[in-house]
Amino acid sequence: MENKNGKIRIGFYICHCGTNIASMVDVDKVTEYAASLPNVVVSKHYKYMCSDPGQEMIISDIKENNLSRVVVAACSPFLHENTFRNATFQGGLNQFYFQMVNTREQNAWVHLDALATTDKAIDLVRAAIYRVAEHKPLERKKVPIHPDVLVLGGGIAGIQSALTLANAGKKVYLVEREPTIGGHMAMFDKTFPTLDCAACILTPKMSSVKNHPNITLWTYAEVVGLDGYVGNFKAKIKHKPRYIIEDLCVGCMDCVEACVYKEPRFFDEFNQGLSKRKPVYIPFPQATPQIVVIDPETCIHFKSDKCKQTCVTACERNAVDLQQQPSFEEIEVGTVIVATGFQTVDARKVPYYGYGQFPGVYTALEVERLINASGPTQGEVVLRDGSHPKTIGIVHCVGSRDKHTNQWCSRVCCLYSVKLAHLLKEHTDAEIYNFYIDMRTPGKMMEEFYNRIAEEGMKFIRGRVADIYPDREDPQRKRLIVKAEDTLIQEIIKIPVDMVVLSTGLEPRSDAQEVRRMLNIACSSEGFYIERHPKLAPVNTFTDGIFLAGCCQGPKDIPDTVAQAGAAAAEALALIDKGFIEIEPITAFINEEECSGCKSCVPLCPYTAISFLEETKKAVINEALCKGCGTCVAACPSGSILQNLFEDDEIFSEIEGILNFRNIPMEMSNA
Amino acid sequence: MIADIESLRGVTLETLYDTPEGHLIKSCIQCGTCAGTCPHGEYMEYPPRRIIKMMQLGLLDKVFDSDSMLKCVNCYACMSKCPREIHLTEVLLQLIKEQTIMRLPVVPQELQKALENSYRYGNPMGESGRKRINWAQNSEVPIRILSQNSEPVDVLWFVESYPSYHPRGQDTARAIAKIFNKLDIDFAILGNEEKSAGECGMLSWESGLAESLVDYNMAIFTKYKFKRLVTSDPHALDAFKYRYRMFGFKQEVTHVIPFLWQFFDKLKPMLKKKLHYSVTYHDSCCLGRHNGYFEEPREILKAISGIKITEMVHNRTNAICCGGGGGGMWLDTYFKSQNMERLSDIRIKEAIETGAEVLAVACPYELPRFEDALKVAGYDGKMVVKDITELILEAMED
Repeated sequence: MENKNGKIRIGFYICHCGTNIASMVDVDKVTEYAASLPNVVVSKHYKYMCSDPGQEMIISDIKENNLSRVVVAACSPFLHENTFRNATFQGGLNQFYFQMVNTREQNAWVHLDALATTDKAIDLVRAAIYRVAEHKPLERKKVPIHPDVLVLGGGIAGIQSALTLANAGKKVYLVEREPTIGGHMAMFDKTFPTLDCAACILTPKMSSVKNHPNITLWTYAEVVGLDGYVGNFKAKIKHKPRYIIEDLCVGCMDCVEACVYKEPRFFDEFNQGLSKRKPVYIPFPQATPQIVVIDPETCIHFKSDKCKQTCVTACERNAVDLQQQPSFEEIEVGTVIVATGFQTVDARKVPYYGYGQFPGVYTALEVERLINASGPTQGEVVLRDGSHPKTIGIVHCVGSRDKHTNQWCSRVCCLYSVKLAHLLKEHTDAEIYNFYIDMRTPGKMMEEFYNRIAEEGMKFIRGRVADIYPDREDPQRKRLIVKAEDTLIQEIIKIPVDMVVLSTGLEPRSDAQEVRRMLNIACSSEGFYIERHPKLAPVNTFTDGIFLAGCCQGPKDIPDTVAQAGAAAAEALALIDKGFIEIEPITAFINEEECSGCKSCVPLCPYTAISFLEETKKAVINEALCKGCGTCVAACPSGSILQNLFEDDEIFSEIEGILNFRNIPMEMSNA
Repeated sequence: MIADIESLRGVTLETLYDTPEGHLIKSCIQCGTCAGTCPHGEYMEYPPRRIIKMMQLGLLDKVFDSDSMLKCVNCYACMSKCPREIHLTEVLLQLIKEQTIMRLPVVPQELQKALENSYRYGNPMGESGRKRINWAQNSEVPIRILSQNSEPVDVLWFVESYPSYHPRGQDTARAIAKIFNKLDIDFAILGNEEKSAGECGMLSWESGLAESLVDYNMAIFTKYKFKRLVTSDPHALDAFKYRYRMFGFKQEVTHVIPFLWQFFDKLKPMLKKKLHYSVTYHDSCCLGRHNGYFEEPREILKAISGIKITEMVHNRTNAICCGGGGGGMWLDTYFKSQNMERLSDIRIKEAIETGAEVLAVACPYELPRFEDALKVAGYDGKMVVKDITELILEAMED
């Protein structure tokens, strides 16, 4: 047969996918059926079409049988469309002379009746074979990539990504919303499983970021908009007013000293409120950059306008500027790395653990500060009432593995609980109980670490804590009872303790959804940013050019975060060094002769790819921006917008194919 | 709460595993929160966690042969904290309990009597059905009885047995009647036609008895036209809201406190009298944990000027049961024989520690239970137990 696209000779292949497809779909029958369809010259089945021999079969068949089209029925096009397009190309054809049939995810995996599944495969195959005859040759377009990178978030993930890229000679903008970089890691005392001091390994990296010639560090700033597409993003940055001129401040702290508040009296975020700060402050001694910030929420000047402004006069360099306003700037980058991190669960969400109600109850993050030598007590573990704990209960899974809070396991809490048990023991010599549901210590040297701490004589109780309340035996009611079922000895136990540590889980930041919308990336149902493929594209997002690093993608420990941050940097580098990207040619285009210039399509485009040309009074589509969603194609009243790979001939043939079930020879039909 | 209660009618332990509820049960991670939070967990050989494990292994017979589930007071504590949100109290424990009672060599006498009385007289205390209306005689306000005037009515007030017969319960019934009158609520009662709703625990324990009460009350409801059912007993609320649904009851139902909350804007300006009480509020399990009414009773109390609320250590979701639910009302003697401390005695210590003068309650079981517990604690006279409706009425009257 010959149609307007020339002589059509189709090669059809169905993949067994081991037994994934073949156990539900009768591949012999499908092959036999496909051979009976018009234009089909070759019809074969094979165990693994994606394997080298499978691809080789396509390539040699094209050459030997002079094929002009290829159809493969296998898994999702998401997995192997590119593989088979490539084989088609290797055989000497345009790679878009190919059509894929998903007979695994949308067929074999989701049905229970093998006969019906085979029938469905036959229908889908017929549709593809009818369709592919109408395919036209298409070319991928190349678009250059801007070499600069934007990194969102200055925790260990963002720091690692930024340094990797900067060391490779790329220019990086690192944007951090807090006054300092360092993130959660800067708050930790020591890190599991090696017990090396978090600050000792982190602060050198923080200063490298600050001093690196290729890194532009913006703290107290936020990305408030991102437009464009892979290789050519435009990001809008908001610099929040710090009320300090950053270029002038040297971090001498004279202004802090001079503040009208002689004593610090406001909630110190870095120390989790266990100490106080002034309205003018530097978050912690190693803060990077060493620049003061003024908090308008607590500063008298902003509350009453009646402050003597002693900070202003104290600064010899005139760096204090109480009139500062937010400022905005726009930058161009080619790739983006999202490393916005996590927040710990608010322990009040589990009301029966008494956080905020009983002074003896602490969160793990508070304890990190409490045992830290540069913390609010210089590392001395003193309770809020000034006493030293003799018995401590560590409660695992607070706000994790619980449908009332977060259903996932936060992955790091078992190990950091064990670590805190060790550190608390070291600092207090107290008796320490760990209450756990399951001990989860995967990873290199982690089980060994658990073993080592267990040998130190910690008590482990397998049971989720059910209740925490003041001990009536204690006349002062300060001592707390931790109640749980020890499920191993099958007894309800009530352990009196002086201190409770709640091992709170990790969750997405509360504004993760807004950031997601701004970046046009996706979240999983729990709110963590979703990677393109859980195994094979773990740092990519569904938006090309945007990569993920660290806990914004899901809870993970520091080693994994650093590894992922490196991977994200490598992915960005791979794009930048290639210099261009190829765009899938499924874009829409306008048939200028027929376009009436009604502008209906312009506001409908979700990617702002359509504009109206006043000179010609016609709409034009920017191919680089078009994602091929088809909205404009459907909306155009004159039918003058077409879309590559989805032209009328192609779609109608596919429909005709799927509906043409009478074409099944009677002896083959199960009906 | 259960998504589809109607579908559970007729479900047995054999068929439970295949229902959506059964799938939840299979998701148990054996964390022991249920056992740890159960007020009687220490006295149970098989608390919920172990029941689920035994069920998995096909060893439930051992569970039925122990008296563990007899000790369940239907307080919903395990269910409200279960990290897998398994509907323990609502589904599994009810079915286990029924089997446990069936296999008991001897049903504790008090309980046996209460069940018999409910069957014979329509109330667990064994009072005459003809005296059910007696409390209304000296109520000082008109109370319409539907058998005498069957005109359609807005609110059918289901008084229930304790407010009908128990002297302190009758005080609250009269208070409610007066409040309804002051709020111009169009209400009526069933009078002597009413029989116990069957309360949450008993329904499952004695499904035969429960069904006879359900059939009886449902038949009475069809005689009259009313818009909504309001009950003065949280246990009856649970019965109507969850159990009667399985038998086709579809009408709107609520308890007096959430009902009054709907009239809060009208009620608040009527609370003119200042009451100089320090109050602590005990959350009823059915009203609080099971139906989520934690703040409504507190907001109503706070609206009374002069009242200062101090919370007990265990409050809201974490409140401790008074021990009266699930048949516990008639098991005090049995529990004592097992050397178990009464839950009302444990709870009253927390109430006393707040230093409050008034213990406010919203469930008719709690008045007698806590008044008795105060006597045991030697605190009689230093603290008084009052139903919230009594406090509302006090603040309304000059």
